[in-house]
Amino acid sequence: MLKIKNLQASVDKKSILKGLNLTIKPGELHAIMGPNGSGKSTLANVLSGKNGYKISGEIIFEGENLNDIPIEKRAQKGIFLAFQYPLEIPGVNTNIFLKTSLNSIRKSKGKKEVDTLAFLKLVKEKSSELGIDEKILSRQLNVGFSGGEKKKNEILQMKILDPVFSILDETDSGLDIDALKIIAKGVNSSRDSKKSFLVITHYQRLLDYIKPDFVHVLSDGKIIKTGCGELAEELEKTGYSKLN
Amino acid sequence: MKSTEIEKAKEYKYGFTTDIESIKAPKGLSKEVIQFISKIKKEPKWMLDWRLKAFDRLKKMKEPNWQKPKYPKINYQELYYYSAPKSAQDKPKSLDEVDPKLLETYAKLGIPLKEQEKLSGVAVDAVFDSVSVATTFKDKLTEKGIIFCPISEAIKKHPDLVKKYLGSVIPITDHYFATLNSAVFTDGSFVYIPEGVRCPMELSTYFRINASETGQFERTLIIADKGSYVSYLEGCTAPMRDENQLHAANVELIALDDAEIKYSTVQNWYPGDENGKGGIYNFVTKRGACRGKNSKISWTQVETGSAITWKYPSCILQGDNSVGEFYSIAITNNHQKADTGTKMIHLGKNTKSKIISKGISAGKADNTYRGLVDINKKALNSRNYTQCDSLLMGNKCGAHTVPYIKNKNSSSVVEHEATTSKINEEQLYYCNQRGLNQEEAVSLIVNGFCKEVLQQLPMEFAVEAQKLVGISLEGSVG
Amino acid sequence: MQNFEINSNQIDKIDKISTEEKSFRIKNLELFKAVGFPHKRLEDWKFSDFRNIIDKNFEELNTKKVSSVVNKIDLLKDFEHNYILLVNGKLHSSNFDHEEKNKVKINSFDKSIDYKINKNPLVCLNHALAEGGYSLEVEKNYKLKKVIVIYNLFTKDIKNNILNNKNKIKVNENSELHIIELTINESKSKFINNVYESIILKKNSKVKNLVIQSNKSNGFFHKFSKSKLSFNSDYSNFIFSSGLKFNKIDIECDLIEENSKCNILSALCLNKEEHQEIKTLINHLAPNCKSNQKIKNILNGESKGVYQGKIYVKDIAQKTDAYQLSKALLLKENAEFNSKPELEIYADDVKCSHGSSSGNIDQESLHYLMTRGLTREDSIKLLIKGFLNDIIEFIKNPSIKKFIETKLENQINGY
Repeated sequence: MLKIKNLQASVDKKSILKGLNLTIKPGELHAIMGPNGSGKSTLANVLSGKNGYKISGEIIFEGENLNDIPIEKRAQKGIFLAFQYPLEIPGVNTNIFLKTSLNSIRKSKGKKEVDTLAFLKLVKEKSSELGIDEKILSRQLNVGFSGGEKKKNEILQMKILDPVFSILDETDSGLDIDALKIIAKGVNSSRDSKKSFLVITHYQRLLDYIKPDFVHVLSDGKIIKTGCGELAEELEKTGYSKLN
Repeated sequence: MKSTEIEKAKEYKYGFTTDIESIKAPKGLSKEVIQFISKIKKEPKWMLDWRLKAFDRLKKMKEPNWQKPKYPKINYQELYYYSAPKSAQDKPKSLDEVDPKLLETYAKLGIPLKEQEKLSGVAVDAVFDSVSVATTFKDKLTEKGIIFCPISEAIKKHPDLVKKYLGSVIPITDHYFATLNSAVFTDGSFVYIPEGVRCPMELSTYFRINASETGQFERTLIIADKGSYVSYLEGCTAPMRDENQLHAANVELIALDDAEIKYSTVQNWYPGDENGKGGIYNFVTKRGACRGKNSKISWTQVETGSAITWKYPSCILQGDNSVGEFYSIAITNNHQKADTGTKMIHLGKNTKSKIISKGISAGKADNTYRGLVDINKKALNSRNYTQCDSLLMGNKCGAHTVPYIKNKNSSSVVEHEATTSKINEEQLYYCNQRGLNQEEAVSLIVNGFCKEVLQQLPMEFAVEAQKLVGISLEGSVG
Repeated sequence: MQNFEINSNQIDKIDKISTEEKSFRIKNLELFKAVGFPHKRLEDWKFSDFRNIIDKNFEELNTKKVSSVVNKIDLLKDFEHNYILLVNGKLHSSNFDHEEKNKVKINSFDKSIDYKINKNPLVCLNHALAEGGYSLEVEKNYKLKKVIVIYNLFTKDIKNNILNNKNKIKVNENSELHIIELTINESKSKFINNVYESIILKKNSKVKNLVIQSNKSNGFFHKFSKSKLSFNSDYSNFIFSSGLKFNKIDIECDLIEENSKCNILSALCLNKEEHQEIKTLINHLAPNCKSNQKIKNILNGESKGVYQGKIYVKDIAQKTDAYQLSKALLLKENAEFNSKPELEIYADDVKCSHGSSSGNIDQESLHYLMTRGLTREDSIKLLIKGFLNDIIEFIKNPSIKKFIETKLENQINGY
């Protein structure tokens, strides 16, 4: 699904990712852990195609080099980023936003656009599945949402847009245990042999609920260690510093 | 369409053109031209006298020049005051002759082909489908005692109402363009809602038969009698293809005790090309008088077209407890210029006004909000709230906010807020990540910015307006 | 005004002027005469019809020279300070004992004439006839240890005079200056004081200017103040004004280089038929500059408060942060507040906002305080103080703050 080769990224001449290699196969869930400033969010941003980074190396997604592909085209190919800090867009109704988004993605695949009725049905289904109050979708996009509501909204969007590759950028930070369970449920219920996930987290806590196939430790812009689920527990006990 | 209808239409059109040709409408502005207009409309003498009085006044007046958008001097002697400036022969014969860009816009708005022909001024032989629609409506309205007809018809059939109210809100001495309109206005709408009647449907020029023939000097008069309600839509989704053409309409609204008038405009006249060539000068005078107690007048406007938009739909709050509202979106792109806003004149006690203005400027455009809130000494316990937000796209455009605020009594409260911002890069990124392209994202965010105004529009208008907002800004974010 | 005529003879009477300066003055006199005293048909004077006010209050006016002899002046004892004494606008004497030698220079106003044509007729009048005033300059790398108080004394000798003065302040690189301009009026008669002020801030310099006009006066004041701010300079202008028949302060501030900052704060207390206007034009001409304006008016009696403020942002002035707030409390029925808070913006990455509000004292707050046992009068006074508080808070020096608070207290107690 995704192959990252010697990825380097810098902002304003400051180098952040320094030769990162990572391969994710269909159906796999990878977790990336690492201390603050190790480049976790940069990785998420670079994968989504965010402007402002100087990039070298290769990102191959389903056999295609993404380097020159703009943000929205990547999204249309099925890359979803659950933001660490979801943006507030005043005046924009969340439902309308999501419907526009869903239809843009469908259009790019040559599929028919969904009408409002079908869309609302889908929203109802997905939100009740996750136990999220669908009322948040009739409000302005993230405006006045609590931290937890914003994160839940991201996961609900993920469920509705149904991407093949989802990146969760510290979606678990600042959440209480109930919200955390909803996030985990959203991820776990989506897992199948075709979909892949990259879960970026600072704490091991989320991985109690979402079982990763691989855990990578990111430090100073490189993956310094890879292991299975136990690595996360080990990290929790010993901290990152021991690894250096 | 039935063949008999087509025959009828041909006949009507034929008759119309011969009339013009036989008299040969003179170019320019003179007493004779005004007499000609009055005569061809078979107006009573009082109407002609009224026009001539305005003309006498006009001769002593000067064009105002305080506004921000400057325009080349208009030669009033080069204008036609009766026939549409382009005669039927000059009009495109079919859609093939119309600017493809214009057609693209129509397609995006989802306007049916027949309407597209009508809107681009194609000299079509078939009568537009809405004729029958209009007739059905007319029956329903007549039943309730509502008068909705061309003002030229009202002058003949309802002279008492016209005499009483015409010019009572915008006096013939008001200012240059209003006075010009008073002298030479050709047609427009007349609405009278009788006491206690709630108009059962949105009234609209869009449905009225000869709406598109009213030309550049429209005159609209709406009277809501005691306890009545009316919502009037002015759809100018008619981007006409023209050299800088002057559009100087006058709109007068009168709300008596407990009456309410809601007036919505979606204006999309031809804005000129990317280099600022051509386009309409939209110099319109719109004013409403809340004459009765507890009356309410609400203006909503979405201004996306015209080379220059220069208008201030205003409310004179005479009646105690009366309410004035102004909701506005003005979008300017390329070389467009808008200088728009409102005047809220508080005269009665406990009067309230609310102003929400959203200005969006892109390309090399200039967007000015200019407004007056005037709370007079006797307007005790009055309130005003004003919010003016500007959005700039790029640094070749300008946003200007010029509010004049006068509070002359201590029991009244006036509040004004204004902000200026740009579209946040992070917001665009978020939308892009969800698969929206740049244009969709901009349209979505701008529509969000305008939400408070868009939600004031009647449903069918709101959808069209939202699309317009997106289309008007196409190509403005690179 | 029937009995007011000026002609070029008056310019001839001015001591020692070059031909160049003379022609500059004559030209400005003509500009003034073309319009006369400004009136409400001029956009900038829309809310302050100066001509009408002058017509109502003066039977005659003159531009005669007045003596600037004064025996003794009581200096403030509230805090240590340097001082400059102006008598009827002219530089009389100065004292910089608290400072190092040769760091602060003062002169009578120099007669440079590098001014652009100004459309304000009163500025033209000033350019034509100004005499006296001071020119103050702070050397590089010097921060004044104490504040300079400028005693601006108007003597008994003046009657129906128009006094035109020019002042100039220049603060060089890395220097700091704090001044307090205090108006003292001994004249029992009416007069007009028309001032032109020029303030230049060089790189990394800082100027704090506190204007206090608080004693009852028959003076009609107009001041045009032009400031130019270089890189990383910081200019604050506080205006505490009350008791003047007419006062218009017209501030034009150019932020010409990056990172410069300007702050305009004012607390105006008006009573009776007093009329005051603050007019500002903040020109953001370079990126990353900041401007902040807060104008608070207390309007009692039949007084009239006016605020006309404009923020201009040039296309290159990205990252501008500009804020403007004008508020008025109308205490009596016949008080009036007019404002025109204007924005003109040509750059897209900016933060610009303004707010303006006017109205009576909040009745609910009043009610709340009264349920806590305060009398109505005390409650009102408390709310007024609260209203002005965020202006006062900007003054950091405790003894100066106390001095201002006492002045305001006296004013409020007079209501």
